[in-house]
Amino acid sequence: MSDTFLIAGAWISAGLTIFLFSFLYKDNPFFKVAEHLYLGAGMGWWFQVYLYGVLKPKVWIPLMNHDWMVIIPALLGLSLITQFIPKISWVSRYGFTFLMGYGSGLAIPAYLATDFINQIGGTIQPFANLAGMPAFALFNAILVAVGVICVLIYFFFSVEHKGAIKKASNVGIYFLMIYFGAAFGNTVMARFSLLYGRFDTLYTFSASKYLYATQFILVGMIVYFIAHALMNRGKKETEPAH
Amino acid sequence: MLKEKLNALLKIDRRWIFLGLAVVLFGAIMRPLGLINKKISRDTQNAYDFIDKLPAGSFVILSLDYDPATSPELNPQAMAVARHAFRNNLRVGVVTYAAGATGLIEQLFSVVPAEFKKEYGKDYAIFPYQPNAIATLTQMASDFYGIYDKDKDGKDARSLPVMRGVKNYKNVSLVVCIAGTIMVDWWVQYAGDKYGVPVIAGVTAITQPGYGPYLQKKQLKGLMGGMKGAAEYEHLIQTPGKGTSGIDALSLAHVMVAALIIISNIAIIILKYL
Repeated sequence: MSDTFLIAGAWISAGLTIFLFSFLYKDNPFFKVAEHLYLGAGMGWWFQVYLYGVLKPKVWIPLMNHDWMVIIPALLGLSLITQFIPKISWVSRYGFTFLMGYGSGLAIPAYLATDFINQIGGTIQPFANLAGMPAFALFNAILVAVGVICVLIYFFFSVEHKGAIKKASNVGIYFLMIYFGAAFGNTVMARFSLLYGRFDTLYTFSASKYLYATQFILVGMIVYFIAHALMNRGKKETEPAH
Repeated sequence: MLKEKLNALLKIDRRWIFLGLAVVLFGAIMRPLGLINKKISRDTQNAYDFIDKLPAGSFVILSLDYDPATSPELNPQAMAVARHAFRNNLRVGVVTYAAGATGLIEQLFSVVPAEFKKEYGKDYAIFPYQPNAIATLTQMASDFYGIYDKDKDGKDARSLPVMRGVKNYKNVSLVVCIAGTIMVDWWVQYAGDKYGVPVIAGVTAITQPGYGPYLQKKQLKGLMGGMKGAAEYEHLIQTPGKGTSGIDALSLAHVMVAALIIISNIAIIILKYL
């Protein structure tokens, strides 16, 4: 029985992957099926996450254990739904006010300490040890400091960018370009990694253990495209609106 | 004649490039070339060294916050770190703030602990998904069991031998956050900087450059980036896995893209001066 489930899972997984990839060739009904299935399954999955991961353990079970305090946050949460009913939408303000206050109180001090003050410290701190600093570390510290200042100048719009300000701002652009280049290179690598992940799965499901799921579905798709092309030979093809 | 050919080359149907990429990646999966990953980056080495120096029995929180979309990059990292932790007899508490990670965690921990004969409850514990990460991280600073009173199976967390002596962040030797989300930032902000808990991260290659400032300021003790980071860590623990095998495919795909960029640029230069 478990083998049957394993094989069925492999066929569904390989099938959906190939159906979705088939869009790279051209739009087709198999892609549409996979796309709609993905959206539907995704919605259903999130619904059960909120039901069993949030509502049940955080509200239902405490209420069953007579923990009445959860009624307050539960009501604040429910108040957000009233924004869909224009007559009583004002009630949602209480929930949003709580969310804003609580969120800001938690986020602002933490963000200021970690990403602002600490980073300014990190830019200045190396210059405190100039005497014992190796040449490369000194170069690195200067590079970071110059980069930070020039990029900040680039985003400083309160003065006109001319003369020395313009030159510093232009240097800032080069630093930003280097960052964007590095980020784009890493993005390409990340996308290839994800593609490798799917291909690796397809290769796994091409084994006899899974009744050659990948090969059969791939051949089926190719046959479909050939048949579709033959049947529509001579007809002008129009791309459906998305 | 040459001009026409070069123009045709620059207007090549992109589907040929997709096909070429598919052939290159699939070829590398079917017939691995065994390209050696010689250079270990400083940040991965630092992550390995930090975990390696922890005394046996130290309690480590493994925050696995990735879903199937980023698992090809992050799952090999998580496997490598879990293997390292179990090999060094560290106690592991697994948490997640990504709902999609729960199945992947089950899968991972059905394989790795058995390799080291580790027992659930005694050597490691898995805690259920929590929806509000910031509130959870803040709560854990004062009382771990205020939020995680039960494990994933509904057992009393206090009664698990692996949790002995663990009350809050003071009893946590390290947090390893492997995430395709903003969780790394939150661990640094709400646990690392605020309570002095050392944090190591494993992230996707896309987000890796953005963590440079945290590394420079030692807010992160180490960092693994993408599949390359996973391959490097696997090399360090001498247990090749999906990261190592993926590097072959990635290297070949990069060679192909670089070759296409160079060829098209040469074609453009020739066309300009022809």
